[in-house]
Amino acid sequence: MELDEFRSSLDTWLDRHDETLRATHGAGATLDDQLAHLSLVKRLTYEAGWMRFGWPERVGGLGGSPLLRAYLGEALTSRDLVEPGIYSMTEVLAPTMIDFARPELAAVMVPRLLSGAETWCQGFSEPGTGSNLAALTCRATRDGDAWHVTGQKVWTSLAQYADRCVLLTRTGSVDSAHRGITALFVDMDSPGIVVRPIETMHGAPEFSEVFFDDVVVRVDRTLGHEGQGWAVAMDLLPYERSTALWHRAAYLYARLQSLLHAAPPDSLDPVAVGEVAQLVFALRARSRATQHRVAAGEHLGPETSIDKVLVATAEQAVFDLVADGLGPDVAMGDDPTSARWRRELLYSRAATIYGGTAEIQRNIIARRLLDLGSER
Amino acid sequence: MEGTERELFARSLRHALESGRGGDVLDGSLGGLGWHEALVEDPRTAVSVLFELQGAAGAHSSALPAVLGYGLGMAPPATAGLVLPRPGHAGPPGTVDRGRLTVHGLAGTVREREGTVVVVAGTGDGDAVADVSVDDLDLRKIDGLAPHLGLVEVVGTDVPYTVWDELPDGRWERGVALARLAVGHQLVGTSRRMLELARRHALERIQFDRPIGSFQAVRHRLADALIAIEGADAALQSAWDDGSIESAAVAKALAGRGARTTARHCQQVLAGIGFTTEHPFHCSLRDTLVLDQLFGTANSLTREFGRRLLATRQLPPLPPL
Repeated sequence: MELDEFRSSLDTWLDRHDETLRATHGAGATLDDQLAHLSLVKRLTYEAGWMRFGWPERVGGLGGSPLLRAYLGEALTSRDLVEPGIYSMTEVLAPTMIDFARPELAAVMVPRLLSGAETWCQGFSEPGTGSNLAALTCRATRDGDAWHVTGQKVWTSLAQYADRCVLLTRTGSVDSAHRGITALFVDMDSPGIVVRPIETMHGAPEFSEVFFDDVVVRVDRTLGHEGQGWAVAMDLLPYERSTALWHRAAYLYARLQSLLHAAPPDSLDPVAVGEVAQLVFALRARSRATQHRVAAGEHLGPETSIDKVLVATAEQAVFDLVADGLGPDVAMGDDPTSARWRRELLYSRAATIYGGTAEIQRNIIARRLLDLGSER
Repeated sequence: MEGTERELFARSLRHALESGRGGDVLDGSLGGLGWHEALVEDPRTAVSVLFELQGAAGAHSSALPAVLGYGLGMAPPATAGLVLPRPGHAGPPGTVDRGRLTVHGLAGTVREREGTVVVVAGTGDGDAVADVSVDDLDLRKIDGLAPHLGLVEVVGTDVPYTVWDELPDGRWERGVALARLAVGHQLVGTSRRMLELARRHALERIQFDRPIGSFQAVRHRLADALIAIEGADAALQSAWDDGSIESAAVAKALAGRGARTTARHCQQVLAGIGFTTEHPFHCSLRDTLVLDQLFGTANSLTREFGRRLLATRQLPPLPPL
């Protein structure tokens, strides 16, 4: 299906099913509510076929350009039917499975993720390795046809809801750095896994510590080859900065629009408003070009770090403007709408931290795009 | 223009820019390269390629009046004498009040002007295009911040004129939008030049036994410059895609602010040498500040945009995926 046709038929379908798709819990939702509602939206859009477009047929998709996925997420986000952060995790995890899992495994598992039957998480960061991902220590030891995993992950989004985890482990020597990393696809109900959710500043236990104590993972659950884990991680990160980012840009546009409606007269400085809107425009323009590069089959690389810096900058700028325009509501309002603005404002503080900090993105830009050589 | 044709076009323009010095040389080449025909056939390519190259080479031409003129529905040779708005302004350079024409604008490059210039004037009842004799105007060659641009201030009160056309409603704004895209591309080109100068310096300059480009504080400044440039460039491309007047203003503002951000970071990295006239950086800084003045500054465009958003409480639509 072509994008134009997809767009108009999807819009019609969304108009018609708005009531079924819209969350009943409103603006003050808990994370439990949001996850339950996300599963519902994914199931309905999967059953109607929309969620299957843009994915290859061998994993239950209906084929077509990745632009269709980008538009679906944009439409759901700008209609406020899903929260883009948790919705777009599919955009990061499914391509990894398609590129690196055994074809039989991908064929069974990816449809469960797309249809909302399952939630997955991504076990990358550790207490001792945040920005320096290649120093991770969560150990996997091979014993016959099984890996034995022991170690700890942290900042694992949605781990307490997750059925599976794309997990990076150390399989090489302690100092093997990025060469000795292997990616595994782990069932989260395996014996030996303990998940401890962490309460965040914005009031949702969005991520967790995850402990692995001699967890057995079958070798056929290896993603890619042993020692190829760094390639898996590097392959995944540009996805995080392409389709998922387009969804986030749609969300920021919608929230800025809501702010313009909600802000009392004279509460906003015209120059500040103009500048923030321009940042959102530049982000959208940049991300749009990236979507078209993906659709043309181009391989994404370090240039997506620019997209990532633009989205983080725009997100914080939008919510700094919220703090100006809706200050009293954010600070003291206890109604659901104020609570939502407050939650989003607080969450926006993480935009320059997660998915590679603003500093790491600038390091990548300096080294890979400006060719400034090594940092030492 | 398709890929290969576009590349050839860019290559010959680049060659002309590199072999020439100053505006007049380039003007001669533009004719020979068929740039004026390209402007009509494929304005996006003609404008984006030429102006970005001009910025990157620190070169200048009188192509800007031609772009404005094309946007106004005029054709060469009339557009060569088209007067631009004065610095910091985007309205027509002329006003007709009770039949008297006042002119305050800019001419593109300095040259022996003979005969007439073309002035768009607001009449209170729309815009009109008028011919004015050069002899009836005061011309001042602008030295200012960037004498090498060869700009000329054009001033006149109660100037004799002949109206030869009325502009349809909204046509001036359309011409300005196109000119803003041109200046935006030139700002992006200028920014890329500044970044390349600073990047090279960061690799070559050794302090504490290492290139200064190995220090994170330096690297992050240059990364921020590239982010500002790519954001502006993407906005310009998007403005071509959707063709709206609003998008062109947004893109020009982003390009102007991005160039000033780039200038600040690059000059700090260049440090002492970038403060001298022995290094070419200062020319780009001068160009940046002057180009920001043409057809509305980043600051004024941003304020107007913000005021409009607050008045309508509605974000303009963006180009669809």
